[in-house]
Parts: sequence; structure tokens; C-alpha cells
Amino acid sequence: MSWNVDRRRFLRSAAGPLLPLPLLNLMTSQTRAGEQKPPIRFVTLFKPNGVHPPSWNISGGQEFDFRMSPLMQPFAEHKQDLLILDNMGDFGFSSHANSTRRFLSGHHKNTKSASVDQLIAQKIAGDTAHKSLELTTEGLFPNQIGCSYISYGQNGEPLPRESDPQLVFDRVFRNPLANPAERKSMASLLDRVQEDARSLNRQAGSQDRQTLDQYMTVLRETEKRLATMNEKPAPKLDFSKLQRPLAPVNLNEQVEAMIDVMCLALWTDSTRCITYMLGNSNSRMIFDFLGIQEQHHYLSHFFRNFSRHNLDALLKISLWHMEKFDYLLKRMKSFQDGNGTLLENSIVLFGSGMGHSDNHTATRIPIVLAGQGAGRIKTGRYIRYAKNQELGRLHLSLLKRFGVQTDSFAGSSDLLPGLQDSSYEHYFERPFESWVKYEDGNITAQGRLRLSDNLDEAKVFFVDIEGETPVRIEVSFRDFHDFNLAYHCGTAIQIQGAGKRQGEQLLMTKVLKLDSLFGHKPGTQNG
Amino acid sequence: MLAKIIAFAPPLHRAAMLGFVLTVLWNVPSAHAQSGPADQLAIPGLIQSYCLDCHATHSAEGNINFEAVLAPDTSFARRFEILSRAAELISDGSMPPQDEAQPSAAERGEFQDWFESQFVESIQASPGAFRVRRLSAHEYRNTLESLLGFKLELAVIEAEQTLSETSLIMKLLPTDPPGPSGFTNDTSQNPLTLVLWDQYSLILDSALDDLLSQEHLPKELAGEPEREQVMNFLASFRSQAYRRELAQDSQQRYQTQLHKHWKEHFGNKSDCSSTSDHTLVNQFVKQELKVTLMSPAFLHRGFLAQSERKNRELPVDAFELAERLSYFLWADMPDEGLLESASNGSLLIKEEYRKQIRRMLDSPKARNLSEDFAMQWLSLQEIENVSNNPPTMLALRSQPLDFLHYLFTEGRPLLELVDSSVSFINPHTARYYRNERKQLTAYRKQKGIEVEALPNQKIQLEDSTPRGGILSMPGVLAMNRGPILRGTWLLERILGEYLPDPPANVGQVPRSPPGQKLSFRQRFELHRSQASCAVCHDKIDPLGFSLEAYDAVGGYRRAADYKPTKQQVKRGEVPEGAIDTTGQLPSGEHFKDFEGLKQILVGEKRHEVIENITRRMLEFALARKLEYYDKPTVDKIVEELVEDPESTFHDLIFAISESLPFTHTIYESDDAK
Repeated sequence: MSWNVDRRRFLRSAAGPLLPLPLLNLMTSQTRAGEQKPPIRFVTLFKPNGVHPPSWNISGGQEFDFRMSPLMQPFAEHKQDLLILDNMGDFGFSSHANSTRRFLSGHHKNTKSASVDQLIAQKIAGDTAHKSLELTTEGLFPNQIGCSYISYGQNGEPLPRESDPQLVFDRVFRNPLANPAERKSMASLLDRVQEDARSLNRQAGSQDRQTLDQYMTVLRETEKRLATMNEKPAPKLDFSKLQRPLAPVNLNEQVEAMIDVMCLALWTDSTRCITYMLGNSNSRMIFDFLGIQEQHHYLSHFFRNFSRHNLDALLKISLWHMEKFDYLLKRMKSFQDGNGTLLENSIVLFGSGMGHSDNHTATRIPIVLAGQGAGRIKTGRYIRYAKNQELGRLHLSLLKRFGVQTDSFAGSSDLLPGLQDSSYEHYFERPFESWVKYEDGNITAQGRLRLSDNLDEAKVFFVDIEGETPVRIEVSFRDFHDFNLAYHCGTAIQIQGAGKRQGEQLLMTKVLKLDSLFGHKPGTQNG
Repeated sequence: MLAKIIAFAPPLHRAAMLGFVLTVLWNVPSAHAQSGPADQLAIPGLIQSYCLDCHATHSAEGNINFEAVLAPDTSFARRFEILSRAAELISDGSMPPQDEAQPSAAERGEFQDWFESQFVESIQASPGAFRVRRLSAHEYRNTLESLLGFKLELAVIEAEQTLSETSLIMKLLPTDPPGPSGFTNDTSQNPLTLVLWDQYSLILDSALDDLLSQEHLPKELAGEPEREQVMNFLASFRSQAYRRELAQDSQQRYQTQLHKHWKEHFGNKSDCSSTSDHTLVNQFVKQELKVTLMSPAFLHRGFLAQSERKNRELPVDAFELAERLSYFLWADMPDEGLLESASNGSLLIKEEYRKQIRRMLDSPKARNLSEDFAMQWLSLQEIENVSNNPPTMLALRSQPLDFLHYLFTEGRPLLELVDSSVSFINPHTARYYRNERKQLTAYRKQKGIEVEALPNQKIQLEDSTPRGGILSMPGVLAMNRGPILRGTWLLERILGEYLPDPPANVGQVPRSPPGQKLSFRQRFELHRSQASCAVCHDKIDPLGFSLEAYDAVGGYRRAADYKPTKQQVKRGEVPEGAIDTTGQLPSGEHFKDFEGLKQILVGEKRHEVIENITRRMLEFALARKLEYYDKPTVDKIVEELVEDPESTFHDLIFAISESLPFTHTIYESDDAK
């Protein structure tokens, strides 16, 4: 908050390895007794500041036949539980605040109605103790306040968020209203402090007695509330057995602890709807624990603040975001829920509000759905729509999946096709031939260009050629920059350069010529 | 602090000690206060002839009704409140309004004599009756954290340009509304509520978990503590939490309870060797600590003050005095040094008392005086609305706070509040200080950081002398937009005048009549030309317009440099080159510009400024509104401070800490009412 921002919070663990997470004191195979059909949940994980498109976008790819992009590698093992949506968004560009509103409200002008999570929560909450939880990792960004919120209430008002996993745990599981053990201990506390107050009453003057009377009134009211709660049937689970997370010492621990608490809250059916922001859009966070000293927002403008170092730092941060998505999915799979897992009975929405993090495009916004919502969506697929799909369509379709009756959302009245079946129009790419020639240290290749899966070497590219080993391109910064290699990722090119053969592998070390087959030139395309 | 148990001295001959102290330190007149309803007062001639047309039952303008005020069942306090304000307005000529019949000088004098005899000379100083008071959220946080020895922080990532609440307690506790004194530590109107109770409980569950964690575990509980160790720890914690040495019978009662509960948990076992016992012991300790921390004696101040209830003023006991000091200067419980000094009685000796105060002012906790007291007194929290970029906002807000901290803790002269050659700036505020900014050490932003909050540095003002003092700091100017808000703020917060709310039907300031080019000031003067407006605006306007050389964001504009916008010229609003900062106060003094006004404030108005500072700080120190029986106390302090041209904030703090209402009280007995 000020010049004395406690960076030690990050630094404390920068030197050593990250602490292992506390193991939850739970039997994952334990099923809640008497539960017939598990409830359906909706979870949102927001990644701030868009993406670096060459490392996020899937190169080529069909509905059932696609290769996860370099940034998707951390959660690649969940491929069968994912529905990856591409070509989502609006045309044009978007500010941080507007793009953040778009993520769950469909459009930044949709400011008078609830965000999609709240409408779903309203529908599915049932008699859970918490209609929804709104979570985040950092404070408010007052300069553009919209950067700090994704969830909005019934009149479009921003909903306050919590960042402390222990506090969320306490609110959900230690509240005497929800927990009989806590009620018992509160009752005995009331007896004891009453004793104390009575002894004070003996020596108090008349005015002070009034204060004591007010105190006693609160005690009596609390007793009454406890008695009312005790009349209700006891919950099926003893919350006292749940392990409270340890106080986190850095962002990574904080987020993992929060995800643990989220899963517990969902699994115990304390809530059915959670939104979690991994950071504000425009976030000024510093990822010290990853060894990075620059602010996230500064790095996210990878083009205007371009340097090898800055790009590496940005990709490290993005990978960390992806790892947390992976962590969430792993945790959700580890809880048995009815006959399946928690993930199977949930729909998880992961993504951002903008696509390209440097020029703030509203096109090709990263959006991934995970979990099957008990059959409400069909996963294991990659859908790249032929035409741009505004987020409002996704939201409208989600509302429908959760049984909310409405004809439109955020100005969209068309449903998003393809969530449950293949009845959608896939992006059409002009066919092209791929081939490679090698002669006296000269390589010429035609095929689709992509970044290496390993983002530690984000200066390494491959040209994919059907039936052949991809050509590896590893060139100087000069070539990387002059030929704008990253820009052409995902598209068909013809490239000519110097190189050598290493066993099966052709390695190009110097680019001489690069042509886009279909004439994509830098700066001519949206995104 | 928790780990170290205060070695309480053997019981002192307290009565003897107090007798001694009374003559040495608290040499104050003992008196009875007026209380309860007074008799019917005859309506004085001046009020009868000049005031009742507007201020009587049939038409109580401004909610003032002299017939009701003088009626038999009106309390003395109420009469004092209304009539002392009336006396002020009548004596400075603002009432009756200029378009009404005016009393002669002789009539005014007669009225003043009547007022003096009824409400000044007859009033004797009294400390007022004792009241217990719930800790404010701010005090509760400081107290609990001092007691536990660690801060209760929320897990939230702090980033630049981002406002994060980092305190668990401040996040969970509802904001205290200011009490009748205007300060939030005056919780007299805010009793315990169900919400508060639940939040206290939630906070303690978290805090006590932390206390019993490996990181913070008190050494008395380490390993496998014996029953007696646990008991001793709990008893000592309780006395720390209650901020005093506890009476024998209270301690014994507590021990009996503890043993009873131990037995319920563990039977006759007295060691806790097995691990399951260890968990149970933790649970036992946690519950007992929670009992202590949820009890009225912890949550309130003053329940355990030991005194006979005799309906007459008595010095407060040493622990109560220590607590009064620590909540005044620190908004926190007394620390070890202060409790020890209370325990061995040395606090009641003047030299030691002052030594403790000096020590407390040197502590970082004394920052409370600026951040809590002055922030509220001068409404500096409003600077938050000036900029939505936190580094800028914090720069503007920290400037007056650092300056006030310097005045308070380094014992600077009182009037430096208004006029000083020292300021505190950082690169965000440097642009307001043309030459002095060179005194800052060079600043270079680290790569990859966009904007960051920065600490202030102390500078000597050489060229920007008009910026000296708090009135012309950019944040203060910017939070009060326009001359009327600036004038009102100056009048209320610096000169201590009471202003009623403006009537609802004030309307808009008119545009210039066609063909005329009038400045805002001229147009405003047309607008407020009614005599009933003049009562307040004669006071507000000259003060506010004196600051016209500063623009809305606090920048300085010389009249000669001032360029009206095209639109302003087109609308004929600002004749070129016209910034009129001249003025005349209702009391007659003329000034050319703000610098001239400043000299009047530190000269002719010195008494008013010092009285206001005294009243505000005394209200904060006592955490209650001042009453008529505090007037002699205030008058005495002010008189002494005004007499010495170099009176400092230290002098004021000593005077308040040694005043009758701070050191004495009246414990009403049950039959008092």
C-alpha cells in the first residue's frame, strides 16, 4: 500500500524451496452419507492481464485432434476434462477495467445486472450456508476500480472479495451458526463471561450498569440464536475435523491454500458457486518468489517493453497461473462426490477478459471450461469457432445449462453452439502442402510455425511438416526480431535459412527469408 | 510483552501516596459541579427585546428557542451550551443580523455581565462523573496486538497503486462512528452489538490459534507444562489484559474458577504428558484466554478502576492514570514500563509522570497523535478523495501527517501549525516546491515499476514560505474545494467556531448579469447579500477567498500569472488578472493576502487558535465531549499557553495530562440518581 509495501512477504521463501501444502485431514473416498445426487457447482478462476498469444494459442488443431499450446502444458494432463474454446470475444480493443467486467458480465456496458456467476448462484444455491464466495489475492486498484472485480450483484454493484484463506475457512467452517462444536464452545463461553460481568456489576455505578446491561443483552441474544440453530438438524459432517490452512508466506502458498479451502467448501456443500481472481487486471504484483523484480502489468506489455528478459519473466508468471489452474483441477478430482469426483459435478470456467496482453485485444480471449457438470458439457475437445463469439453467448449458454430461464444476456440472445455436441462451425483454414528440403547447409521448409512447448526456451520455434520430424529453428535475437517469428506462430509459412542436420532433426540457425503463405503481415490482423 | 510478567510491587500505602500526590502534582481546586435542572431564569432584557422575534417557541430559527432554554426544566448544561454560543455571537456583532434592530453598546455590555455572572463565574471546575467506555476498533486492534506481541495480518498481496486492508481486525470490525466529541474514541453512543460480538469472537479464534502456534507459543506453555504453570500463565495474562494489578479477591475467585474448569477437563491430573492431553490443554487454554478477552473488563476501559463511590472528585488510581495516558498518546494499552511505574506508584510523582510522557512521545506509537487524533480533528481522511492513484494520494496525505507528527513529538511551538518553515515532501509533491525540491535526495525509479509510493523528507522552506504551516499544504487545499469549503474548514477546524448547517433553500450562485464581467467572488457576494447569510458568511468568506491564489488541486497561481480559461472569459466569469485575496475579518483586521491572514492567525487570533487546539486535544484525551464544568480547566490551560509566546505541543500535552478531568474523576454512588 505504500513505500513500505512488505516485499518480504514474497522474499521470505524466495531462497528456499516452496513449502509443501498441509495435507488435508480428509479421506477422499469418504462419501457424504445419505446423499442421493450431488449438487452441481460453478467455479471461476480469473487470470489477469491477458496472454502472450504465440504461447497461448493452439497451433492448427481440430475438435478432437489438437496439440495443447506451450502455455497449456502445465494442465495438459487434464486434456480429457477440458473444453478449450477459441475465437471467443468481441472485435476491437478493451481497457483493463472493461475487459475485466466482460469476463463474467459479457460486455462492459452490462453494468446494471448481475454477473453470470451470481445468476447461477441464485439458481443453484439451495439451502447452502453461503450463496457464493467471491475471492481474490490482492487489494483494490482505485485508479480503475473495475480492474478489481469480476462478480457483480443484482443491481450491477461490485461484490467485496476476500483474500485470506484462513479467514474464508473460519467464516465457512468455524461459524457457530454452522458448526455444533463451535456452538457448544460459544455456549460455555457465554456462561463464563456472564459470571465475570456479574461480578463487575456489584461494583459498577448506575451509568456503567447501563453498559453492562447492553453487554448482557448481547449475551442473551447470542444464547437465543444458538438455541435456534441447535433445533435445526445437525450437518452430516463434523467440520471440527477439517484442517485449517496455515498462514501463507507468499502468493503461491496463499493461492494453493485458498484453492484447498474452496474445494472443501464445495465438497461439504457449504457453497456451490465460487469466483476467484488470481489478481486484479492491471495488477502491479511483483512475483519475487519466481525471482522476478518487475511488476506484472509492466511485463504484460511484452511488446512495448520488449526484451528477452521481460518476455521470459512474463511467461514464467503466465505458467504459474496455468499451474494454479492445474492445481485446482487436481484438487477437485481428488474429492469423491457421489459416484464421481467433485470436478465431474462442476463446471469450471478459467480465462481472462482480454486476449493479447500488450495491445489489449478483445478477440481470441483465453477461455477454458473444465469438468462435466454432470453431463452438462462435453469435454476432451478444442473448439475454434469459424466466427468470433462474444462472451455473452457463452454466459447465456451457461445460464441455460444451470437452468436459469432467460432469453438474453449482455445483449446476446444466441446460444454458444458446441458445448454439448459437435454442432458448430469449426474455423476453416485454407489447405496447404507441407514439405522440407535440405541441401548443403541450406534448409527450405513450408509448414505451420509454432513455439517450442518448453517455454524456458521461448526463442526456439518449430515448423510442423506432415510425416516428418519438425524443423527446429534456433536463431539469434536479431533474426527473431527482424523476421518477427513469434508473430507468425500458428500460421503457414515458407522459411529459408542456413542450418544443419542432427540425426533426424533439421536445425535452422540463420533465417534468410520468411513468407507467409496466406499473406499475413504483421499489423494487418486483429490480434 | 506477553512473555514477561510484570513483577508487581507489594501493595503500597496507596492512600498515603495519593495524599502526597494531591499536594505535589494535582494541585487543583476541589469543587462541586452544578447538575440537574436549574430554576427558571428571568429572560434577560437584550434577549427579550432583540432575539425573541426569531428565536422563540413560535419561530425557532436555527433551532434556537430562548424561551425553552430558560424554562425551569432545562438543564444547566443545555442552557450553557446555547447561551455561551449566543454570548459569543452577540459580543462579536454577528447577532442580531445587520438588517434587524441593533442593541446599544451598553445593552450588549449588560448582557455580557449577566452571562458572566450566571455561567462563567459561578462554574467550578469538575472532572465529571466516571464512565466506562468500550475500546474503539482502532484501540482494540492496538491493545490486542500489544497483548499478544504480534500483529494480526490478513493474507493479501500488497502491490503498488493498490489499497489493501492488511489488518484482520480493521477488516472485521465495523467502523466506529464519531461520538458527541467528534472523535471515534468517544464510543459512549456505540454500545456492544451482536455484530461486534460475533466479530470479536471470530478475531479471537484466529488470534489465539496463532498465539498457541509454534511461532508464537509463550514460553510458559512450551513443552509439557504442569497445571500450576498453566494457571499462573492464565492469571498473569488476565492481569495484563485488564491492564492492572488485580484485587486479591478477584484473583482468588479466578483461581477457584480455573481449578473448577481444569477438573472438569482433566480430573485430578496435574501434568499433561501425553499428546492427547496436550491438545486438550491447548483447548483449555484457548477457551480460558477467550473468556478473558471477551469479558467486559477487557473490551471496556475503566470497569476495574478502584475507588470508593463517594460522589466527590477523587484522583484516579495509578493504573487508570497509566491507561488514560497510553490511550491518549498511543491509542494502545500501557506498556511494561508504564504498568511498572503505576505498580510501584512512581507514576504519581510529577517528575516521573513527565518522564513517562516524554518517553511515550519518543515511541513510534506516538504516531497515533497524528494518524488518529489529528486525522479526525482536521478531517484529513478527506484527502483520500483527492486522487484515485494511491501513490499520489498517500503523498498528499502523508505530508500533513508527517508535519503534525513532527509538531507533536518534537515539541514544536503551537502556532507552527499555521506558520512554519519546515515541510515534508517527496517526488510526488515536489512540484509544489520549486526551489526546495532540490533538497530531496535524487530518486530513480527501479525498472519495471510504474508508479510507487514514496517516503517524505523534511525540508526547510526558503522561497515557498506561503506553503509553511498546514493550511496551504496541497492535500489540505485540494480536499476543500472552493473558497466556501476552505473558509468553513478554517473557521471550524482551526479557529474552533461552531457553524450551523446552511439553510436548505440557498439556491445557486448566479451568473454575471448581461454585459458585466464579475468574478466568482463578486457573484457570490451578490448571492449572499441577505443579512441572515452574512451572520456566517462574513466570517467564512474572507478566510476562504484569502486562499484564492491556490487552485483546486492545491497548485499556486500568482494573480499576475493567472490565465482564465477561454470559457471563463467567454462567460465573463473571471476578469483577466483578477484574483482578489484581500479581506477583512468581522473583528476588524484587514489583510492583503493569505500571508497577511496567517500573520493575523498567529497574532491577533492566537488566543482563539490555541483555545481550539486545546479543546480538541482535551476532548480526544478524555474521549468525551467537553461540558460546561470543563470550561475553567480549558481557560486555565489556554491562559498559561497564551502567556508564553513559545508554548509548545509538549506544554499542551503536559497540561492536558495533568489537568483535573484527566487525573481525577467522580465515582457516582448508586443513589446518585
